[in-house]
Amino acid sequence: MLAELVQHVVNGLILGGGYALMGIGLTLIFGIMRVVNFAHGELFMLGAFFLYTLFSLWGLNFFAASLLAVAGVAVVGALVERLILRRLRDQPIEIPMLAMVALSVIIQNAAILIWDPSPKTIRHPFSPVPLTLGPIHVVAIRVFAGAVAVALIAGAHLFIQKTRLGRAMRATFQDTDMARLSGVDVDRIYMFTFAFGAALAGASGALLGAVFWVYPAMGDLAALKSFAVVIMGGLGNFLGAIVGGLLLGVAESLGAGYISSGYKDAIGFVLIILLLLWRPQGLFGKKGLAR
Amino acid sequence: MSIRALWGAAAGALWLALPVLGVDDYYLHLLVMAGIFFLLAAGMNLLLAAGQLNLGHTAFFGIGAYASGLLGIHYGLSPLWTLPAGACIAGVAGWLLGMLTLKLRGAYFVLVTIGFAEVIRLVATNWTDLTQGPMGLAGVPPFNLATERFTLTSKRDYYYLITVLAGATLWTTARLLTSRIGRALRAVKENEALAESSGISAYRYTMLAMVTACVLAGAAGGFYAHYITFLSPELFGFQNTVTMAVMVVAGGQGTVLGPAVGALVFTFVPELLRMAAFYRMLLYGAILLLVVMFMPQGLVFYLRRFGASPAATPVGPARDGATFEAGAGVGESPAGSALSVAHITVRFGGLAAVDDLSLELGRGEILALIGPNGAGKSTAFNVITGFQSADAGRVRFGAADITGEPPYRIAERGLVRMFQRTSIFPESSALDNVLTACHRLARTGLAGVLCMSRANRFEERSQIERARDMLAFVGLGHKESELARMLSCGEQRLLGLAIALAPAPSVLLLDEPAAGLNAVETVRLMGLIEGIRGHGLSVLLVEHDMKLVMGLCDRVVVLNYGIKIAEGTPAEIQRHPEVIRAYLGTGGVVARP
Repeated sequence: MLAELVQHVVNGLILGGGYALMGIGLTLIFGIMRVVNFAHGELFMLGAFFLYTLFSLWGLNFFAASLLAVAGVAVVGALVERLILRRLRDQPIEIPMLAMVALSVIIQNAAILIWDPSPKTIRHPFSPVPLTLGPIHVVAIRVFAGAVAVALIAGAHLFIQKTRLGRAMRATFQDTDMARLSGVDVDRIYMFTFAFGAALAGASGALLGAVFWVYPAMGDLAALKSFAVVIMGGLGNFLGAIVGGLLLGVAESLGAGYISSGYKDAIGFVLIILLLLWRPQGLFGKKGLAR
Repeated sequence: MSIRALWGAAAGALWLALPVLGVDDYYLHLLVMAGIFFLLAAGMNLLLAAGQLNLGHTAFFGIGAYASGLLGIHYGLSPLWTLPAGACIAGVAGWLLGMLTLKLRGAYFVLVTIGFAEVIRLVATNWTDLTQGPMGLAGVPPFNLATERFTLTSKRDYYYLITVLAGATLWTTARLLTSRIGRALRAVKENEALAESSGISAYRYTMLAMVTACVLAGAAGGFYAHYITFLSPELFGFQNTVTMAVMVVAGGQGTVLGPAVGALVFTFVPELLRMAAFYRMLLYGAILLLVVMFMPQGLVFYLRRFGASPAATPVGPARDGATFEAGAGVGESPAGSALSVAHITVRFGGLAAVDDLSLELGRGEILALIGPNGAGKSTAFNVITGFQSADAGRVRFGAADITGEPPYRIAERGLVRMFQRTSIFPESSALDNVLTACHRLARTGLAGVLCMSRANRFEERSQIERARDMLAFVGLGHKESELARMLSCGEQRLLGLAIALAPAPSVLLLDEPAAGLNAVETVRLMGLIEGIRGHGLSVLLVEHDMKLVMGLCDRVVVLNYGIKIAEGTPAEIQRHPEVIRAYLGTGGVVARP
């Protein structure tokens, strides 16, 4: 009984790590740029497909392919910001939102044309034999995914807190005009933030794609869930995204295990609605941050 | 007949004649689908006018469709009943969701609505007993009006039916958007606090927009169910919502015809792209992106020549310098003191921002509330006007206890606040700003607005007259059609005063009205306040500008660290040692001229 519970929780935490990575990216993009990135799921999907192409199709080393895949998504993110979002900066919030929706349609359909719609598996170099840690059985790839997620989250946190660029990002988040007056190149920060968020989403996609499978529509559900995560944690709240992501992962895993796997995707949304009834600003959000 | 009406009549006639002209059934089908999407886009547009983007709108479409379909299949009810039933059920669902989510704003609302639609989709997919799940619900009976003879079979019949529904939708949304209700919605979007202060309940008006949108979506769903006769959970898919959002934004949000233009164009564009087969969705996304990037105001903007833009209130010849008419007799005439505040205390954690404050504002009096920064003056204002709740104490407006009432309710009673710094509706013209503020004076109800009753039309005209008078009084008569955010800072402040005076208040609260104004502008402001004094208005103002305070006010109350330290005439206050110590400092103080 207990072993089963622990198993679900561990699986949930690993899944949650992936959600947290998505959530961090999304919340940073919203917090700093005030853009709701509806293409986030597609960036996630691109990370998985880049890995698939580099590793499964072109035969690069798995770890090198992973790094390059993430870098590739970062480049895509930078391009999107420079070519599309920069033009739309002065428009009301609906306009960049819809532009991102349009972009997600474009990317997803391009993916269908480039790679076909059938799901693919990435034959990673890890053994399929589960490792046993006490009562828990975890496949090596999942341990890898979990470990990398933790490392990336910690790395992102350190980056934002300790580096000069991270400080500039935080300044832009708190008061864009003051940041400009202090010599921060806000244009560059925006581009970097979007690329950074995209990279995190791409990493999440590569990791989860390696654990599960890869198909063009995989971004849809991932996007919706990362929105749930971000709402739970409070828009713009880094720590909240991490906690939200882990919570969602565990809730889904427990829900699938004990209630029903058909409805497991709904759990996240029901949770948000309930949470927002109780605390409209999210778990950690500050009141009045929504606009 | 105006040019606009002529074009409208021509378009309408062409539309009605199309089936007779022998247009192919396939194109009639597309037009029917365009009509259905118009109902959906129009609803979304209405809610967006209030500032809320509902990206779960397709859920209400699906709810209406399934409700109608299931009622038709299981109970054999005629679509005459199931369509309204579907619309009502969707409306109720919208009301419930609104109750839960309309306290959220902006991005939060968007994300929760997406989540809602997803949940409904999952329910529809998994609750196979009810909905047949992904297999879909087939066999929905087609339209019949209770007897076999009147079963609608041909495309043409459905075409005319959707025309009726679309026509009703167009009329309703046009009436709502161009009336005071539309002004109220836009006010909520542009400056919610100011809207509340003008007597507009943000919650109620947004809810009105939401429920109307959901009823329209439900009606569209019901029609769809009996037209296509097959339903699947894909109706709840995000794809649909994307389509609707495209139609609204690319058509021209906030306009009456935008959703119609968007619905027509974006029903036909995918069909034209059908040739491109594989690349169809990709091209559709690209077109959408280009439209959003390069034409964010929508297609209607470019059709403005045909009069399709939202009706900004027409302006007449410029007026100058009217005298102020308080419009007395509207709302409660306070007996005794106009406003009394008793033992108000507000704590933030351990700190008392306002500590046991009591004051009385006499009728026709001008009372100043002064004190150093952080003394608690704005907090006191927030409590009086309902933007903040006090931990103790009561606020009376005349004979009525208004403690804890929401801001719009307090404004409705005749207690109006002018906010600190500039508070206007930036995207509306100066005239529309003041006209919006006349909201509380309206007496005709929703029915009157929808039917354009004579009473309603008369009311609109008299409110426009009043608004123009107010603008002339503050000296902005020549700037009626100017966009509010284009006015200079001083002009915006004057506009703010006009907004505060428009609803014929009996008590006016002015929050640092002279802040940021130069000497000339301050003198002008003083003149205006003097000008309204004799008309039965009582004024409570917070100010730092001592010349204004000493020159204008009958009495002064001094606050320091949340506590009232002195009260009296300006002369008494100038000499009061506590006040001098806390605030005015030593050295020369401006004496009354």
